[in-house]
Amino acid sequence: MRTPFLLALCALSMANQAVYADIILPDVGAKYVSLKQINPSRDAGYVVGDVLDRTIILDVKKPYELVKESLPIEGYEHRYRGQISGIELIKISHQESNSSEGVNHELQLRYQVFTTGKLAKPAALRAEIVKLRNTNSKEIVQYRIPSYSFRISPLSVFGAVKLKEEMSPFVPPLFLDDQADLMQLSLAIATLSLSLLGLLYILGVHAWLPRMGAPFAKAYRDIRKMPDNEAGIQEAATRLHAALNKTAGGVLFSSNLDQFIKNKPVYAPLNQELERFFSLSSLVFFAPVAHTHLGVSPKLWLQQFCRQLRDCERGLLPNVKNKVSQ
Amino acid sequence: MSDTQLADWRNHALTLESEVNKVVVGQETPVRLITTSIFARGHVLLEGDVGVGKTTLLRAFSRGIGGAYQRIEGTIDLMPNDLVYHTYLGEDGKPHVSAGPLLMSGENLSIFFFNEINRARPQVHSLLLRVMAERSLTAFNKEHYFPHMLVFADRNQVEKEETFDIPSAARDRFMMEIPIAVPSDPAILESLVFDTRYHDVDALVGKLPVDLLQFDQLNGFAATLQNSISASPTLRNYVLDLWRATKTPTDFGVKITGVDMNRLVLSGASPRGMGMVLRAARVNAWLNNRTAVLPEDVHAVFHSTVAHRLVFSPVYEMRRTEIAREMLSGIINAIATP
Repeated sequence: MRTPFLLALCALSMANQAVYADIILPDVGAKYVSLKQINPSRDAGYVVGDVLDRTIILDVKKPYELVKESLPIEGYEHRYRGQISGIELIKISHQESNSSEGVNHELQLRYQVFTTGKLAKPAALRAEIVKLRNTNSKEIVQYRIPSYSFRISPLSVFGAVKLKEEMSPFVPPLFLDDQADLMQLSLAIATLSLSLLGLLYILGVHAWLPRMGAPFAKAYRDIRKMPDNEAGIQEAATRLHAALNKTAGGVLFSSNLDQFIKNKPVYAPLNQELERFFSLSSLVFFAPVAHTHLGVSPKLWLQQFCRQLRDCERGLLPNVKNKVSQ
Repeated sequence: MSDTQLADWRNHALTLESEVNKVVVGQETPVRLITTSIFARGHVLLEGDVGVGKTTLLRAFSRGIGGAYQRIEGTIDLMPNDLVYHTYLGEDGKPHVSAGPLLMSGENLSIFFFNEINRARPQVHSLLLRVMAERSLTAFNKEHYFPHMLVFADRNQVEKEETFDIPSAARDRFMMEIPIAVPSDPAILESLVFDTRYHDVDALVGKLPVDLLQFDQLNGFAATLQNSISASPTLRNYVLDLWRATKTPTDFGVKITGVDMNRLVLSGASPRGMGMVLRAARVNAWLNNRTAVLPEDVHAVFHSTVAHRLVFSPVYEMRRTEIAREMLSGIINAIATP
C-alpha cells in the first residue's frame, strides 16, 4: 500500500518541477547587471578529458540580489536539442563581495570534455542562466551568461588527411622532431669550429698566436735549445741567416743591409747589431781561425741578438740592456 | 810570403788603382776589376761604346804595370799572320819580314790590346785562343813565350754588321768581361767634355807614375797570393751552389720576367770559369785586406767572370747582356750563405 503512494508522490513532484523549469522569466534590466568573463585562452584543439576553466564576474546592483540556488550545479549534464552535449561542469566556486551599490559575484567554473568524435566538431560551454530577486518587490528575473564556443578534436586522425585543407588558423603549428637536426647542427658547428681553428693555425704560419710563427720568434725558440759549442754556434748563425733571409724576402748580405733597413725600418734600432752579426757570421763560416771579440759566448750573443730581432718583429723596441758590446 | 810582403803588394796595387782613377775618372768599378784580373792573371774582355776611355784605361794600366804594350785593330780582313809578322819591301828592294805585334816585344809583352775583336775572323780568334791559353806561339820554327802577357780585348755589342760572334770557347778564355759605361755623374761628364787635360790622352797618361808594379814579378806573386787566401768549406759549398745555379737556375727558383727559364740556358759556367771566379774572389779579398774569401768577394766578381760564359738559346742572345745580369742577380739573391 505504501509503495504506490510513494510512486505517485514522486511523479507529482517531477511534474511540478518540469512545469517550473519551463517558466520563462523576464530578463533583468541591463543597468542592474554587468558581466565580465575570462574564457580559456584557446578555443580549439580540446580532446576528451580536457578541462576548461571559465571565470564569470557578475556585478549585481541593488535592489536585485543573486539567487544562489540558481547557480549551476556540479555534475549537471548539459543537453542540446535533447542530446547530451558531453561537456560537464565538474567544479564551481562562488565568492562574493559587497559594495555600496550591490554585490560582486565571482564564479569559477570548471568544465570537462567527455565527448569525442572522428572529426573535429563544435562544442560550447553552455549559457548559464542565473536568477535575480528584486529585494523590494520580490520579483524574480533572470540573467543569461553567454555561452562560449570551442572545438573538440578527435584523439586520433582516421584516414588520409590533407593538411592544407584541414589546417585551422586556430591551431598552432605542429612541432617537428628536431633532435636529428639539432644533432647535425651541433656536428656541423663542431666541424666548422675545428676547421676555423685549423685555418687560424695555417694562416698563423703554423702558430696559434699572432707572430708566434714569425721568423725570428721561431728562430729564437730553436736557438735557445742549441748547445753552446762550435757546432751550436754555426747552427744558430745559420738559423739566424735563414730568419733574416725570410724576413728580407731574399738573401741578405752585409752589402745590402742598408736596403734591408730601408725596407724594414722596424729593425733600424739594430743596425749596428746586424753589422756585428754579419761580421760574426763571416768569422764563424769563412775565417774560423779569427777571434770574435764579442766579450761573451757567441752562442749567447746570437741568442740575445735573435731576441732583439724578435722584439722588433713584434713591433717592440729591443731590450737595449741585452746589447753586448764588442 | 810574409804578411808584410802581402801588405806591400797590396799598397802597390791600391796605389796603381788610385793613380789610374785619376786618369780615367768615373770608372772605379772597372778599374777595381782590371786590377783584380791583373793580380789573378786573367785576360779581360772590355765591352763598351766607342770613346768611353777603354784604350786610355789600358794604356794607363800598362804604364803602371810596366813591360811592353801592344795593340792591334780587329778588321774583317785581318789574318792570323798579321799578329805574328808582316812583310815589306825594304829600301834595298828586297823583301823583309818583321815581327808583328805579338812577337815585337818578346817576353816583355805585358798587355796586348785587341781592339774590336769581334771584327776579326774566326781564324784570328783561333790563334788568339792558343796565345791566351798557353801564352806561347810557334813561328819561324821557334816557340815564342809571353809569360807575362795579359790580353785585353774590346768589343762593341751594338754594331753587328761585318762582325763575327766570338765563340763560347774563346769567351771562356777571358777571365772577365768588364762593361765600360759612360759615367753618370754630371760633374764628371762636364770635366770630360770641358776640362782640356782629358783631351790629350798622351799627356794624361804620361802623368801616371811608371812601373808602380814589376810586371815580371806578378806571376810569382799571384801564385803566392792564391795560396795565402783561404776559402772555407762553407764558401766552397756556396760557390758550388752558384755554379749549379748557372746551369739549372730553375732548380734554385730563379725567374726572369718574359723568359722561359727552361729554355734559356744551354750551358752554364765552365769549371775553368768557376775556377777563375775563385781566383778573382781571392784577389778581391786580398785587396780588401782579408785573409779569407767572403761571399761578398765572390759577388764582387761574379757578374764579370760568369756572364760572358753563359750560353743562351739563340732566341735570347740578342738580349744577352740584360738577361745575364738579371739571371746572375737572381742567383745571388736566391742562394743563401750559409
